[in-house]
Amino acid sequence: MSLDRRQVLTSAAVLAAGAVGVSAIARGADRDGSPPRALGDTPAHGAHQAGIDRPVDPQTFALVSVVDVATQTRAELGDMLAALGRTIAAHTADGSGDLTATVAVGPRLVRAAGDGLPGSDPLPLFAGDDRIPASRTGGDLLLALHGSDAGVLERAREAMVWTMRARVRWAQHGFRASAGEGRARNLLGFLDGVVVPRTEFQLQDDVWIPDGPAANGTICVVRRLRLDVDGFRSLPVRRQERIIGRRLSDGAPLSGGAPLDQVDLGAKTPAGEYVVPAHAHARAAHPSFTGSHLMLRRSYSYANPGSERGLVFISFQRDLDTFVRTQRRLDETDALMHFATATASASFLVLPGFDDARALGATLFR
Amino acid sequence: MARGWATAGGIAAVVCLGAAGCSSGSAPRAGHGVQVVRVPQDATSIQAAVDHVAAGGLVLVGPGTYHESVVVSTADVTVRGTDRNRTVIDGAGVRPYGVVSIADGTRVQNLTVRDHTFYGVLVTGVHDKHGPRANNADDYDEFEPDEFPPVQRFAVDHVTAYDNGLYGIYAFDAQHGVIADSYASGSADSGIYVGQCHSCDVLVQDNVAERNAVGFENANASGPLLITGNRFTDNRVGLTLLSNYQEAFRPQRANQVIGNLVGESGSNDSPAQADGGFGTGVGIAGGVDNEVTRNRIAGNPRAGVLITNTEDLPATGNTLTENAYAANGIDVANISAARAPATGNCVTGRATTLPPDLATARPCGAAARRQPAVAPTTVARLAKAPPGLSFLDVAPPRAQPGLTDVDTPPERLPASVTMPDTAAIDVPPGSLLAELSGTR
Repeated sequence: MSLDRRQVLTSAAVLAAGAVGVSAIARGADRDGSPPRALGDTPAHGAHQAGIDRPVDPQTFALVSVVDVATQTRAELGDMLAALGRTIAAHTADGSGDLTATVAVGPRLVRAAGDGLPGSDPLPLFAGDDRIPASRTGGDLLLALHGSDAGVLERAREAMVWTMRARVRWAQHGFRASAGEGRARNLLGFLDGVVVPRTEFQLQDDVWIPDGPAANGTICVVRRLRLDVDGFRSLPVRRQERIIGRRLSDGAPLSGGAPLDQVDLGAKTPAGEYVVPAHAHARAAHPSFTGSHLMLRRSYSYANPGSERGLVFISFQRDLDTFVRTQRRLDETDALMHFATATASASFLVLPGFDDARALGATLFR
Repeated sequence: MARGWATAGGIAAVVCLGAAGCSSGSAPRAGHGVQVVRVPQDATSIQAAVDHVAAGGLVLVGPGTYHESVVVSTADVTVRGTDRNRTVIDGAGVRPYGVVSIADGTRVQNLTVRDHTFYGVLVTGVHDKHGPRANNADDYDEFEPDEFPPVQRFAVDHVTAYDNGLYGIYAFDAQHGVIADSYASGSADSGIYVGQCHSCDVLVQDNVAERNAVGFENANASGPLLITGNRFTDNRVGLTLLSNYQEAFRPQRANQVIGNLVGESGSNDSPAQADGGFGTGVGIAGGVDNEVTRNRIAGNPRAGVLITNTEDLPATGNTLTENAYAANGIDVANISAARAPATGNCVTGRATTLPPDLATARPCGAAARRQPAVAPTTVARLAKAPPGLSFLDVAPPRAQPGLTDVDTPPERLPASVTMPDTAAIDVPPGSLLAELSGTR
């Protein structure tokens, strides 16, 4: 039942000859006049924390930890986070390579900082989430460490956990190989993170909280998704591509165009079927259906002892609703969801950036 | 896209009629003021004629097959065929549209548009100087209604639109208009579509839409909007009232659907509905306060009326009253998701429902409350959708009745639509407009 402005405003045409020839222009970097972004810089200090928009291509390894802290009062939490910021600065100083540590606080801590702040609501349960153990949902604080050297991640985390006297609730190592432009192949073999905000202006629109005590922070959703890799890959590639909505080889939309192009939601076959199928992931997740902003996705694959493997889904968005509305839609329409089972799930408020003069968490806890 | 623009030299002996004469001061282009332009006598193409007619003028298009896409950008112009069945704008399966009007007060009448990849006739305020705006750049930006004010006053009547890739007759971002006495088939989306307007003031009357994926579609178009006296049969979905996030002015609300025949929605001689819709008479997705009354809703193998949500937008306050239901898989079904449950939709008269307690004995207008629903598969399994037919292969319609007087220049369209008295409209017979239905 589709209609639409896109069919007025876009190239969405019925393809009379059955050939796919529609190409949209990618939402490419810096097309909108944004200042250029430095590709590899990872300083801990800045208006925003590292590990979200810098480095532009996420590092190869991740250690994602959700921890709980005994600290209760706003003032004590302020002291704790300030100390954590100093620990991070020390561990990511010159000589540490591209190690980044990103700190985000869970709903309990957000509520301790004040009323009505973004991130104070917990992530709701989605389809199948009732099977996730309580110990793998929620949590006080997210410590997301990323770097090209897997060997430094645990040591840095230990120092940070020790600084906070925290207890690790759950943690997951992850890996990804950059495919450029912020993309990586997941274990299903497909490129992930194709349509994301890339320019400074897009990041302002879609990712950074614009005002209030949490300004320059963002909302982070972390979901560990066990993937039925064998089941998916046993399908013919054509079936796989129809589930994703993009080509396996280079990620180009099934509706045509280049690897970074958007899918053409309106393109149909002469017989009336969508060229990007009705239940394809790329259609299901498209923000236009929910009136949402774009998410910045920086997910990592994981493979644990035994056969458990999948994706640590990590997204950054300016409001939790962007994720919630999208995931509800995925639960209802996305064929890819048949191959994913959430085994951990939480949302956090990523603290604004910090430096020597402005402690981590200062705008919220001081 | 080639539009067959004719040069000024293509304008031959120009006929001047009407009180305003040949140099109307309201004409937008200096040097043109022609009140009536005939094709092919006075201009070699419809577009050339449209470009040279005065504001308020008439373009009369003689019998023939025209291979062009026409943009009407002059106010109060009428484009009229002299023979509805033999004045044909043919997209040949490659051109995007037949006639697009982007000016206030225009009429398209008494002609046939076929085989376009997008739409047969479009009336819209969304355009730039080149016609309907084709923006390939960024699907992720919100539509900005202030940037494109709705076009005002339009009429599409006695138009036959068949085998067009998206829509046959389409009003989008347009107010105060009428779509009447027209015919649409073979659309891979919908035969007739009214989209994105608030306080639309649109009348859709006495049309036939058949062998389309959807007969009549409304998305984010709100009342006053009256759909009456139409025959929407042999489509995959007869009629839809939809809210969506991709266009402005959600939720869709307050249409009147009165006295229509909506049925036999098990079409296998039409393109597929891309989202899987099939066997449904009236579909309401996230629609609010619509009045569906005294329609004949029959022979829909899934559901006579299907109620659901659009994302987090619930279907609320819709009234289904005095409709004649027959031979539907189920007469009324609610498949709303738990995250946006239907509330306050009422059903009167004899109707089977899913779930069975959907229509409890409560008067319309009673306090809204959450209504029970069934899973979408419960309804979908009542009838399996057959494969779609290419829109270019859908059988053409039989000859349709044209205007009797094609020479008299029309009056200026009024500022608002005169709506019929809905109280006088009864449930139509199953034979409503049957003489216009079917294939050659």
